[in-house]
Amino acid sequence: MRAFPIAIVAACYLVVPVVLGSNDYILSLVIAALTLAAIALSWALLGNLGGMVSFGHAAFFGVGAYTSALLAKDLGVPVFLAMLAGGAGAALASVVTMPALRLRGPYFALAILAYAQIFRILANQMTGVTGGAGGILSIPPLPTVFGFDFSSKLGAYLVILTLLVLGILAYKAIRDSYWGLALKAMHDSEDATRVIGVPSTRLKAAMLVVSAFMAGVAGAFNAHVIGFLEPDYAFAGTWSVIPVVAAIFGGYRTLSGPILGALVIYLLDQLLFKTLMPQGHQIMFGVLLGAMILFSPSGLLPLLTKPFARFKPAKRTPTPEKRHAAAA
Amino acid sequence: MTFRSRSLACTAAAALALLLSAGPGSATDFAIGSQIAMSGALARVGMATNEGVTVAVEMFNRAHQGRHSVKLTSIDDESNPAKAVSAIERMAPDVQAFSGGYGSNIIGPASETAERAGKVYMTSGGVASELVKRGLTNFFRINNGEGYSRALVGLFGDLDIKSVAILHSTKDATQEVAHQVEDGLVGRGVKVSTHAFDPAISDFKPVLHKVKVLDEPDAIVMIGYENDYVGILRAARVMQPKVKLISGVWSLATGKMANDFPELMQNVVGTSTLPYPVAFTDPEAQEFAKVYKELYKKAPDYLGVFGYVQTKLLLDAMLRADEAGTLKQPGGIAAELRRTATETLIGPVRFDERGDNPEFTHRMGQHQGKQVVLVWPEKAATGPVKFPATPW
Amino acid sequence: MSELVLQSLYAGLLAGGYYALIALGLTLIFGTMKVINLAHGEMVLLAAYIAYTAESVYGINPVLAIPLAVAAVVLTSVMVYGLVSRIRQDRELNSLILTFGIGIVLTNFVLMVWSADIRSTNVPWFNEPVVIGEAFYSTSAQVLFFLAGLGLTAALWWWLGRSWYGRALRAVASNRNAAMLMGVNPRTTEVISFVIAGLLAGIAGVALYTVAVIHPDLGHNLTIKAFVITVLAGLGSIPGVLVGAMLIGVAEYMTITLASSALQELTGMVMFLLVLFIRPSGLFGSRGRVG
Repeated sequence: MRAFPIAIVAACYLVVPVVLGSNDYILSLVIAALTLAAIALSWALLGNLGGMVSFGHAAFFGVGAYTSALLAKDLGVPVFLAMLAGGAGAALASVVTMPALRLRGPYFALAILAYAQIFRILANQMTGVTGGAGGILSIPPLPTVFGFDFSSKLGAYLVILTLLVLGILAYKAIRDSYWGLALKAMHDSEDATRVIGVPSTRLKAAMLVVSAFMAGVAGAFNAHVIGFLEPDYAFAGTWSVIPVVAAIFGGYRTLSGPILGALVIYLLDQLLFKTLMPQGHQIMFGVLLGAMILFSPSGLLPLLTKPFARFKPAKRTPTPEKRHAAAA
Repeated sequence: MTFRSRSLACTAAAALALLLSAGPGSATDFAIGSQIAMSGALARVGMATNEGVTVAVEMFNRAHQGRHSVKLTSIDDESNPAKAVSAIERMAPDVQAFSGGYGSNIIGPASETAERAGKVYMTSGGVASELVKRGLTNFFRINNGEGYSRALVGLFGDLDIKSVAILHSTKDATQEVAHQVEDGLVGRGVKVSTHAFDPAISDFKPVLHKVKVLDEPDAIVMIGYENDYVGILRAARVMQPKVKLISGVWSLATGKMANDFPELMQNVVGTSTLPYPVAFTDPEAQEFAKVYKELYKKAPDYLGVFGYVQTKLLLDAMLRADEAGTLKQPGGIAAELRRTATETLIGPVRFDERGDNPEFTHRMGQHQGKQVVLVWPEKAATGPVKFPATPW
Repeated sequence: MSELVLQSLYAGLLAGGYYALIALGLTLIFGTMKVINLAHGEMVLLAAYIAYTAESVYGINPVLAIPLAVAAVVLTSVMVYGLVSRIRQDRELNSLILTFGIGIVLTNFVLMVWSADIRSTNVPWFNEPVVIGEAFYSTSAQVLFFLAGLGLTAALWWWLGRSWYGRALRAVASNRNAAMLMGVNPRTTEVISFVIAGLLAGIAGVALYTVAVIHPDLGHNLTIKAFVITVLAGLGSIPGVLVGAMLIGVAEYMTITLASSALQELTGMVMFLLVLFIRPSGLFGSRGRVG
């Protein structure tokens, strides 16, 4: 059962570059979709494991982007190192948002959104550091390592793919660890877990840090690929909303749902809808979202796997393997 | 059902267009791309600019019928830098140059992508000085922030205005032009106070109240967008600060504003390329207005004029490059553009090493009755300035 | 300086009434169905554009266009309910995506029908100055819709607390099955809450058109503002909406007066966070009502 995901990843590394390698446009769409997928994954980690729905992942995305861009441009830090620092910066920013962990449901969601807005305004006002509303142009691109130019479309694709695979592995490791078990228990009953000695707030805080780190690295990656940052763009609502939509669309309780969701909605919108309706193609996007929620409320993945369900052996006792298969 | 049939029709049309354009013996010898906002925050300005681009292409095709033709592809960048970049990447293999873009923040990354593809990027939508400091060899623009501030400072000098309050949006371009206007005015010994405002603000009374009580300026300068101007002018009517003139920069002294908010705009001064109603005198301008009317059933506005001028200059350069046989060579079109030195609908244009137009100076227009009268500089003026004069 | 502060206090309170008007519809649905209607701002905007068409094409005063705007938005609102009620699982989360999708459709519909130009009323009365004692400045439209905000908040509060349908609505919100056993049809009451929300959004739209300047991109900002006020108020608390909206209004105007408009949103957001950290379930939310 484990061979399947590995085969897909291998195909992503080997087949996709061969097929799309020469088409910069398609590759750049795929890169943008995978960037959204990375945020969607980080959002789903917080939502699925931490039980917290955030409306403001742009906060972490933007902080990561600015940290990395400024380190690389102003201090000459190597880009890959700067991206790591971008993740760290976002993780640090998540510490500032921790008072929000006391809040639940929409209150938490909106508090994080408020943080994203606050960070945006600060980036606008701190002109000395961030360049203010004018933003930063000509951010150093991804470097050339061992003769391979990562700033090319193919290079960027391989970088974001690798980041995504690392993200999935980290997510999976956490989910299957003692922590993951504790978090799942916490989901079922927070009070009960508190009684038996699971430090629920600390666990949630840890998930927030991990999620922020992932979103921050995605932001840093995007900054070096696009080569440009401004507060309105780095902290734009799109970075908060589209990943949520993508994750739920794909099925946010699964590992691959958010990624599939991001790829499908972004590529459908940009490749198909935009060609059919150069103006107002977002309408079709909106209709698609609505239809999805009404006809397959647990996301795209169950919709895709349903036809195959009957070929599976009787499902009386869900085995661990099965859970993995569904999740992957 | 209509939705479905419409999308079917769209598909069919797209397929047909594809067949036609790819067919052998096609007469197309030039192709340019326009990446511009048709949705999102910049949709209005983007679409207006793109209309000018389209008119320029249409006029070129009519003028060179049988000998040359140019094909224009326009892609919506959704007011988003990343989508602007992918729009450029999508068009790059099929076009020889780009004419479009609105917003310095979107033009920045888009033009860098065009530079990597070795294609000329021509625009009128980005005034930030950063844009021409990047060392790009294929970036050109016909206007810049300095041109706006020069005109405003020039008029204020002639009117002998001693103190000014600048109200500006915290957006990128507005902030930059505000600084340039401030520097220009301070350089002439004018007392300046500035008030930044959030782009989402709708009630400007507290800002105007501060201007009225604390600054007491001779004139107010508004640097923002149309919705800001309407908000500021409404607040000013309520607060009635004792000023002699209210002025601003782009999107203000326009026919659209004269039509949509006639009461509010009286005596307000702003940068303007054309008087309104447009009184075109030279044949090119008349032809432009005629074709514009044919295609869009309305009179051109200043964004359309900019879009037209930038595209016309680009097409002329491409034509020259074609004759010289350098059209498809790297840097061929850029080299021809650098030789441009001509009079246009927006005044003289030439390009320096950085692709900027050092000749660019705006004119100033004033809302008088239902018209916009050009009042500065003297040689372009169509009437005298009313001063002191306020909208109330 | 003191006159500036007094004026901004006054203007902030006025703005609060108007903000409350924009938030009420969202609060009602959030309070009764735990559904956050992310298309709320777009519905308000739709009403504003209908008022614009009524004025510019037919010369109808925007206030008289309210029935027209309300009819269109109520219809939209009921359609939104029709879709939301079809969600079979995880309604709280999935309704976000659904209404977000509806919001996108509405925004682009507005863009296609009315173009991206900015619009606002040209009827002079709305922007006539109303100056009280040479000290407090406002416009007729601001005063009118401040009063409308107060009146509608009070009416909604009374309706929810006193009328049969209002009480039925609250009963369905707190325990759907128990309410059904008591002979309340939950679907009817839910439809009614969407109708009322549409009505409120329709009036808010006309307020928006006369008080401010509209453009198609505005809907999203309105939703966020309404949502912030709703959360600040405490889940479903109607008087909380008015208090929260006025708090936001005064904070914004004070920031402009004492510092700069560039910081007004910052103050709003910081204040929002502080209130939540001190009272995690909002100003008027009781702990048990937190969802």
